[in-house]
Amino acid sequence: MVAASFEYVSAASYDEAVQRLVEHGEDAKVVAGGQSLVPMLNLRIVRPSVLIDINPAGSRPPEVEGSLLRLGALTRHRTLLEDPVVRQHCPLLAEAVRHVGNVRVRNRGTIGGSLAHADPTSEIGASALVLDADAVVRGPASSRTVAVRDLFVSYLTTTLEATEVVTDILVPVLAKGQGWGFREMVRRSSDLAIVAVAARVDLDDAAEVVRSVQVSLAGVSDRVVLADPALLAGLIGTSADEASLARIAAEVADAVSPESDVHASAAYRRRLVDVLTRRAVRDAFDRARGVEKAA
Amino acid sequence: MTAKRLVTLRVNGREHALWLSPSDLLVDVLHDELGLSDVRYGCGEGVCGTCTVLLDGEPINACLTFAVQVERREITTLLGLMGEDGSMHGLQECFLRLGALQCGFCTPGMILTAHDLVERVGRPSRDEIRYALIGNLCRCTGYTKILDAVEEYCAQAAPDGGAAR
Amino acid sequence: MVASTTIVAPESTEETTAGGFHVIGQSPAHHDFVDKVKGSLHYAADWRLPGMLFGRVVRSQVPCARIAAVDVSEARALDGVSAVLTAADVPNNRLVEMASGGLGELEVAMPVVAGERVRYLGEPVALVAAATQQIADEAAELVAVEYEALPGVFDVESALADGAPMVHDAGNVLVTWQIRAGDLGAGFEEADAVVEGEYRSQHVEHAYLEPEAGVGWIENGVVTLRVATQVVEHASAIARMLGLAANKVRVIATYMGGGFGGKEDMTVEPYLALLVWHTRRPVRMIWERQESLVASTKRHPFVMRYRTGVRQDGTITAQEVEILGDAGAYPYLSPRVLFAAASLACGPYRVPNASITSRAVFTNQVPTSAFRGFGAMQMTFGYESQMDRIAERLALSPTTVRERNFLAKGDLLPTGETLDTCVEVGATMHRALALLGEPSGASGPTTRVGRGFGCNMQPYGRTIWFRDHASAWLSLEADGTLLIRSGVTDLGGGQAASLCQIAAEILGVPLDDISIYIGDSALNPPAGGTFATRQLYMSGNAVLKVALELREQVTKVAAELLGGSPETLVFAAGRVGTSEASGTSLTLAELVAACGQRGVSTSLLSTFRATAGSFDPRAGQGDTFPDYTYGTHAAEVEVDVETGEVRVLKYAACHDVGRAINPMRVEGQIQGGAMQGLGYALTEDMAIEDGSPQSMLFADYLIPNSLDFPDVRVAILESGEGKGPLGARGIGEPSIGNAAATVASAIQDAIGIRPSRLPMTPERVLALLDEAQALAGDEIKRRNA
Repeated sequence: MVAASFEYVSAASYDEAVQRLVEHGEDAKVVAGGQSLVPMLNLRIVRPSVLIDINPAGSRPPEVEGSLLRLGALTRHRTLLEDPVVRQHCPLLAEAVRHVGNVRVRNRGTIGGSLAHADPTSEIGASALVLDADAVVRGPASSRTVAVRDLFVSYLTTTLEATEVVTDILVPVLAKGQGWGFREMVRRSSDLAIVAVAARVDLDDAAEVVRSVQVSLAGVSDRVVLADPALLAGLIGTSADEASLARIAAEVADAVSPESDVHASAAYRRRLVDVLTRRAVRDAFDRARGVEKAA
Repeated sequence: MTAKRLVTLRVNGREHALWLSPSDLLVDVLHDELGLSDVRYGCGEGVCGTCTVLLDGEPINACLTFAVQVERREITTLLGLMGEDGSMHGLQECFLRLGALQCGFCTPGMILTAHDLVERVGRPSRDEIRYALIGNLCRCTGYTKILDAVEEYCAQAAPDGGAAR
Repeated sequence: MVASTTIVAPESTEETTAGGFHVIGQSPAHHDFVDKVKGSLHYAADWRLPGMLFGRVVRSQVPCARIAAVDVSEARALDGVSAVLTAADVPNNRLVEMASGGLGELEVAMPVVAGERVRYLGEPVALVAAATQQIADEAAELVAVEYEALPGVFDVESALADGAPMVHDAGNVLVTWQIRAGDLGAGFEEADAVVEGEYRSQHVEHAYLEPEAGVGWIENGVVTLRVATQVVEHASAIARMLGLAANKVRVIATYMGGGFGGKEDMTVEPYLALLVWHTRRPVRMIWERQESLVASTKRHPFVMRYRTGVRQDGTITAQEVEILGDAGAYPYLSPRVLFAAASLACGPYRVPNASITSRAVFTNQVPTSAFRGFGAMQMTFGYESQMDRIAERLALSPTTVRERNFLAKGDLLPTGETLDTCVEVGATMHRALALLGEPSGASGPTTRVGRGFGCNMQPYGRTIWFRDHASAWLSLEADGTLLIRSGVTDLGGGQAASLCQIAAEILGVPLDDISIYIGDSALNPPAGGTFATRQLYMSGNAVLKVALELREQVTKVAAELLGGSPETLVFAAGRVGTSEASGTSLTLAELVAACGQRGVSTSLLSTFRATAGSFDPRAGQGDTFPDYTYGTHAAEVEVDVETGEVRVLKYAACHDVGRAINPMRVEGQIQGGAMQGLGYALTEDMAIEDGSPQSMLFADYLIPNSLDFPDVRVAILESGEGKGPLGARGIGEPSIGNAAATVASAIQDAIGIRPSRLPMTPERVLALLDEAQALAGDEIKRRNA
């Protein structure tokens, strides 16, 4: 179908985009990369009366500020994949993006757009969540910083107000003694994940046992979620041995209530959570200890 | 319906002034208004690759881009890779000679994407070629001859091994 | 470079066909392929006429309902709308397929636009033409249809149950075919073991990259449709629908961006014709991809039940097969598909006592019809699974079991026909297995590697009792160039180019000097549609016949001029000359001029007629197909036993193609077909639940991409004993059939369990692993108890 008619305005800055949102209200939608939004327009699933093109606002290159990696909201997926700063300081994000879309999608898709779209199977969302990233959000009155864990509310829904836009994402850089893991199951490479698991492990000072661990899950709920820390607590002080991993991964799997769809049943998704959590945490532990791992 | 506006598109090195609605997709404008048969609607979802064009040299989904968004940017279609005299790009020659096309519908998008890869990487491995072409679906060839053709082109273009850019 | 073609003449060939070809057996890239690589070929959507309107089909959103009311007033009132048509606007709103001759065949008419009720989700209920596509889409949304839901049936077994809702008043079984050979009871008594199996396959979508499309207009009172179609002969059905004389409709077939059987029935044609007829304006229609996924015809899901009796040495004594094919809501080509399924149910094996029953059953789902392999393809999974089960039961190797049963030239098929060409399936089996090379090791502790293979037999050419024929017209022009006119259509597999290659060989005209005009119901000699892997056999033979007859016609003149005897003349490189060392020759232009002076025509129309035959549906005996193509695929897979994921590590395919007219194109067909087969085996499923597709997105219909499968390594055998031109056998369809059986066989080798349901998704494989573990656990408990 051809999209339903709309007015088109372009915003040369984030502030201008916000002004336009205030001006046009609920019927306006911001388009960044458009790789998730425009298919919905083409299928007439959404019919905004105004499209605000934020691409002219541009983006600075990724930059490390202290212990944070600052990514402009309009940072393209391709940049996340190829930029040496990202690859060095946030390898989890670079790896997750490798699974997103294809060359064309990555040339246009943006990290700000992905997080604002809040797809429950998003590899980028899972990575931002597990790394405790923050989103800098600008509204008509002010800017605020919101933790990504407070951003995703439900299916394709965030806590962003109708007049707010994401301007930056701040991701803690990979620290010493920290490791990451990313495992997903897809029916066909580069498709939307069936289940994706991202893990972050921090080791104790002796770099032998787990000091803290965090796991995020995509494809198991109406949004990307963090595994209950209480369930993961059993890994603290361990060396992520097989028995502990198996026990805790099983508990994490038991705790999720996924839905069935054309690609996988709820029961199978739960099985995947079990297997992929084990594998992702294992990878994170090994990487924390400096073991080279093929992605 | 929203009022039309005058939009200037730069396609294959030429400028075109067109009266367009904001909701006019780039794929439809290139195909229907400018008569470019090498840019095709295949899915409208961005997954099949038949609408691939280069925007300032980078492959994008023309079916997910509104023409008004890319005013005055450089748009290149397969035609734009060919010589002024109609001579074929080396990739086209390799595709033709190695049987890397059957029905031909995926071919323009496939070649543009392969071209972009070679420009960026010089001498990609077969696995790198596979990964780059993931979003260009082909239902006829089983991909092998396409991979062969891209490898052959790289071997010809940089026989000494080339260097990644 | 990876997969290179290996051309091998099998030792069993009695005589090799004369070599010394100039063009046959080469792999030139020419004609449409040049335009395609330049992006300048005009597909069906690449056509614009002044005043052209844009069409859209309005489709039912419910699977089974009475239409209480259709209100098009708002749609018609929209500015820019030229027409909104409903059932009342269709002069003859019934399409009826030609009877196939099967048992109890129902005559079921299909409305072009539904008026009283809808029988599947996606059935057309209105048509729109407007000044822009956007307005047409707006208008389509404004068509208001009131439905009263009716109870429906959504699988074949429910449709057969007592008291099931009827899809059509006449009944839910469209047609039954049976094949009966020998004495089944006696055959089973002779058996030392009986192996049973039930196999199920899914709805599959053609997923050609080119959506269904076309442009229609009226010219000199003739409704002219330029469309992506495999069959221009539909022109007569369109004329009947409009109440026009047959000569008032013309169908021009464009070079297609893929067909695979999905453009064999009419797609956009009737709707375009109606909109053109009503508006008197040119109209373009391009189906949305999502529309195509939901509403275009699909491959028949099959339920196949096998019972096979074997002796201790593995030889088959009896086979009983029941096939249920889901025809969806309307007949289309279901009777023919189920006939092909029945005919090929036993595969390339000797079965002296057989009872095969196949039925096409209506359901309230999208209609199913032609798709590469056409029923015979699905059966491969059935008969190959049986052969592997037999091997397991009797502790014989899978290759041994097959070798003990392979058909040979001169053998009787269950239909009572005698095979009159050689059967090289055994050679293809060994060749395919050899291509796999050294075994790979498992990549980790949670994976298992296994190898397997699958043999198949696929007919080429139409069923013999259809009295198939194809015509072609060849003309040598004054300048020595050649014109070919043929009604053949081109799906993208080089159907047209192959005809040029044959003509080039016989008449010595360089390929660049040949122009071919195809697929026009008004202007070309009829060739029949491109399906059933029939074009090389039919049009190839037609062009061969015409070329040979034309050559004979002009040879007499050449012999006169050159002074040699006609048999010694050689046509090559644009010249005709004597084969002796003296080397006098004429250019073809000079020859044509000389013919003109003598009143000898240099153009000719001729028809190739396939052998006719007949089939007795009651006795289940008679003629079926002219010949078959045999092949084997082999695969190495790795299974992750924790997730059920199956990765194909290596894949090989070998087919006996008789003669490879263009080896590179033959290899391409095999690779492409095998890849479609792999999608069918592992990832593709147009899942429908309660009559509603579970997704309409192309993103959710998983055809293979460039990364997930290995290169298909190909070996081609040339036995020279096909019935196509110069001994060729058809290769369009055969290579899609083996993959599912091959992968299942490899999975069985890896994890000890064989999937019986397609596609073999990770979830299903994991469930089988769980089941096996549970059984093993029960067994241990039982032993310990």
